[in-house]
Amino acid sequence: MISSLPRETIISIVLFAMVWQIMSYLAPSLGIPAFAIPGLGRIAESLTKITPLDVAVTLGRVLLSLVVSFVIGLLVAVLMYLSESLEKYLRPMVRILMAVPVVSWILFAVLWFKGVEFRIVFVLVVVCAPVFTVDSLDNMREVSRDLKQMIRSFRPTPLQFFHKLMLPAITPGIITSWKITLSLAIRVVTIAELVGAVTGIGHQLSVAQELFSVADVFAWTLVLVVLLFFLEALLVRLETHVLRWRA
Amino acid sequence: MTAASAPIEIAQLRKVFRQTTSGQSITAIDHLSLRIEPGELIAIVGKTGCGKSTLFDLLIGLEHPTAGSITIGGKTPYDDFNAFRGKIATIFQQDRLFPWRSALDNVKLPLELIGIADDVQQERALTWLKRLGLEKFANAYPRELSGGMRQRVAIARAFAVQPEILLADESFSALDEVTANELRKTFVDLAREFKSTAILITHQLEEAMAVGDRIVVFGKSATLLADVRMSDWDRADYPLLREAIQNTLQANVPDARLRR
Repeated sequence: MISSLPRETIISIVLFAMVWQIMSYLAPSLGIPAFAIPGLGRIAESLTKITPLDVAVTLGRVLLSLVVSFVIGLLVAVLMYLSESLEKYLRPMVRILMAVPVVSWILFAVLWFKGVEFRIVFVLVVVCAPVFTVDSLDNMREVSRDLKQMIRSFRPTPLQFFHKLMLPAITPGIITSWKITLSLAIRVVTIAELVGAVTGIGHQLSVAQELFSVADVFAWTLVLVVLLFFLEALLVRLETHVLRWRA
Repeated sequence: MTAASAPIEIAQLRKVFRQTTSGQSITAIDHLSLRIEPGELIAIVGKTGCGKSTLFDLLIGLEHPTAGSITIGGKTPYDDFNAFRGKIATIFQQDRLFPWRSALDNVKLPLELIGIADDVQQERALTWLKRLGLEKFANAYPRELSGGMRQRVAIARAFAVQPEILLADESFSALDEVTANELRKTFVDLAREFKSTAILITHQLEEAMAVGDRIVVFGKSATLLADVRMSDWDRADYPLLREAIQNTLQANVPDARLRR
């Protein structure tokens, strides 16, 4: 994986690590407590203590929520595409959902629901589904009128119209939506897990914060970033395969 | 292949569009009456904006007439939309292939829509690609094909459903002359072989004369300026015919020489 990274990326990462290490050495002489900027050795030690179960739990929550968000988002987009009047009612609601801060959703979830897992999935879905809806609807509207006319001339059923034309036509847009919501979900899940969860990366970050362990916070954050890059790389591979016709 | 069995009867057809911005009405087709016999190869020629493409959309059933009717075997393509599934096929000016499908899968598309078995779809699509000289490009995506090849795939796609009625809207005008001539000939040969009722809409008189057994000349708002059966004319008189139609198109009034 590292060998596939551009040289410039590797250099910038190495430079950042060097600057961090230098700051770690200089911190006490600058009046900054030593624990605030731990050395790379200390962070590496924290990395060895990463529990795969927490990573898996967070990953599971993210993927499950994204799948549910995608299904709901796409379904709502299709309904809005089919009915102009329904769109007029739903579009303001979708926009309102998108404007509500994540923290407010977390507070609502804590106040409304008992189950921790449900709270987390609820927050992720309510944040991600509107993104899928708006993107899918915009993409459906942009499907070529010529292609719509062509397939309609062959008289497809409504299901065939969506299956044969609309879905493949909006696939590039859907993959872009997945990239956006993936990064969004990784950030949101961490915050959602901070409240009440007893597993997951967010929970571990909360524990690290309680212990004033910046090394642990850094290590878990690093895991999150790597997890995001890994999932994005998978998406890019999927994109290359699915959209090979565009090459 | 099923040969066309019913005539297309266009009676007092009228289509008016209301512009959304200005609210003005535009009469695209004004009281057009025309009868097209089964198996006839008809070319409709007229200047740009004369209502040809509106008639095309009405014949496909994508538009509803403001007044009058189009009936085929007692059914209308717009009200009885699904009754014409697999019976009407179209070839447009642009190939309108799905870029995400291979040539083979593009030809299979209408067969999938009418619910033909997978193995039959495959066999029939391959047969049509072979017929149009594209068997080596079955797995190529549209971007890998030339304009002429893509249009051939579009022709294969249209004929693969064994349509009773074949509608072509400026289907060869975007191609170079050599390719266009070759594809016009293919189109005519196939339409004759399978006895489909074929309607070619074009603004090019040469194309209309090369393809049609009958040439219908449209004036403004699809006013019927001339309805010429090529069989009524000797080949030696074709230059005269061409001149008379050109005169009709330019003056927007029927030329007396066209009355036979």
